Amino acid sequence: MSSNTKKWFSLNLNNKKPIQNKSCGCGKTSGGCESHNNLDAATKKDGFDQVFDVKMSRRTAFKQLAASLAIGAGAVSTSCSVIAGDDSKEKAQIDWEEQFKGNYKLMTDDEKKATVDRLVRSYQLRTGKTLNMSSKNAEENVLFGYAFNISKCQGYMDCVTACVEENNQDRNSQMEYIRIHEMKDGKGFNFNEADDNYYHEVPAEGHFYMGTQCFHCDNPPCVDVCPVQATWREDDGLVVVDYDWCVGCRYCMAACPYDGRRFNWSKPEVPEDEVNKNQHYLGNRLRKKGVMEKCTFCVQRSRAGKNPACVEACPTGARIFGNLLDPDSTIRWVLENKKVFRLKEDLGTEPKFWYFMD
Amino acid sequence: MKKYRIIYILSVCFLVIGVSSCKHEGEYHSITDKIKAESKAYNGVSVSSETYLSEIHTIEITEGGETFLIPERESQIKSFKCTECHTKPVAQMTSKELQRAHWDIKLDHANSNTMNCATCHNGDDMDHLTSITGNKISFNKSYQLCSQCHTKQFQDWTGGAHGKQIAGWAPPRASMTCVNCHDPHKPHFESRWPARFNTEKVKERE
Repeated sequence: MSSNTKKWFSLNLNNKKPIQNKSCGCGKTSGGCESHNNLDAATKKDGFDQVFDVKMSRRTAFKQLAASLAIGAGAVSTSCSVIAGDDSKEKAQIDWEEQFKGNYKLMTDDEKKATVDRLVRSYQLRTGKTLNMSSKNAEENVLFGYAFNISKCQGYMDCVTACVEENNQDRNSQMEYIRIHEMKDGKGFNFNEADDNYYHEVPAEGHFYMGTQCFHCDNPPCVDVCPVQATWREDDGLVVVDYDWCVGCRYCMAACPYDGRRFNWSKPEVPEDEVNKNQHYLGNRLRKKGVMEKCTFCVQRSRAGKNPACVEACPTGARIFGNLLDPDSTIRWVLENKKVFRLKEDLGTEPKFWYFMD
Repeated sequence: MKKYRIIYILSVCFLVIGVSSCKHEGEYHSITDKIKAESKAYNGVSVSSETYLSEIHTIEITEGGETFLIPERESQIKSFKCTECHTKPVAQMTSKELQRAHWDIKLDHANSNTMNCATCHNGDDMDHLTSITGNKISFNKSYQLCSQCHTKQFQDWTGGAHGKQIAGWAPPRASMTCVNCHDPHKPHFESRWPARFNTEKVKERE
């Protein structure tokens, strides 16, 4: 649990790194720099190992065991029961396999597909409706970037509505990834005096508007602090969360300097007819209570070549999204021809979200 | 002499360690360096926006060294060609018996010294727009009309900083053209109420 020299307790998860394919300076998981050579030599752990083969306190161990046993007992009782129908047996089987699945980051493509299929089937068994869930990996030659034109934004908040609907965010707590800040002209970015929940005719006289959301930092502090590595940076630059691996400690929320992360304090509710059925495992699939979530640049859309929902919804064209590695992309033109800047650049987080003016 | 050699060897060692570890920690100094370096080997992506664009009719244009798609316009105008009604020059169509169409258009664009109907329309050739010098401009390429005055916006638009992208980020690039967002007779954006108001946020902050 803790080393003897220290006066505080710390989990040993990060000291014992059998597979070191993520913490490379170059930020990629393969190729590029020289620090990827011993990647294949490392042995892979299955889901069971990932749950149990970590140093943990007796209390945590009992908790894990109890949770697993409860599911196990459920599975055994339903599968051995004569009365239980095929559906409930299948559901128990799915629950069992989901409980012992590994971290998504470490899964092979087949394992990713298997968990996605299980989740789709589970939703079908529960609601009788089918959804389309993707496990598409990052594309080669892609690094996503975003630019926001603060002279164009009029504060209509159409982006926020589109985001909530696209990403199946909790309607009860009115969770929103995007915040639009109304700021006074001539005062610069003054967040202390800005209003991010205005309701009057916009644009208001003498004000300008700017939006914040997850900036998908290239050097994301939220990823470093996660004790269970449930959040990481993908090869196309997206910072994502495995909702099934997150323990809800909210360290990442505290570490983010941009208020980019959101926590599900209660069970997220989305009316059945409003559920967006075009989903991605790392994106807008339905979440549960006690896990973190955030903007993923609509991974379910962007990996398919589309623009995120906020970009598509913006009536002013203030939002520009594209591939930073494509020299002919519009985002590259903006970076090379406009005077761009980022928020809190001095922190070294390297956000891939630029602001500019006409 | 020996002392110097030791210093020499030591400094070479430090140099080697320094260079190698530097390469290891963070390969690039900043994200812009990284983008520059990694995009050198860029050879396209496998995804495409083509399927999302199939629903709209587009034309390809090349302006300012950039080639991209814009929505086609003429087929979208309800009663094109204009000469189907405008059989005579406008000056001769003032009689009261003729059916009135688009008579409600009020020009709210620049002042009357700068613009009137004839700045863009030619009463003798209603099927085309007309430039300041009297050259024909097709309705499909109406941006050529706007770019006569709005040069800065035009430059931003060809690059992609102004004007909304259609469909997706993946190539081919398709952009809205000027009149898809701005009514040429009244080009400014109206003020309106925001799309939503977060009542939970109010409660949280009480």
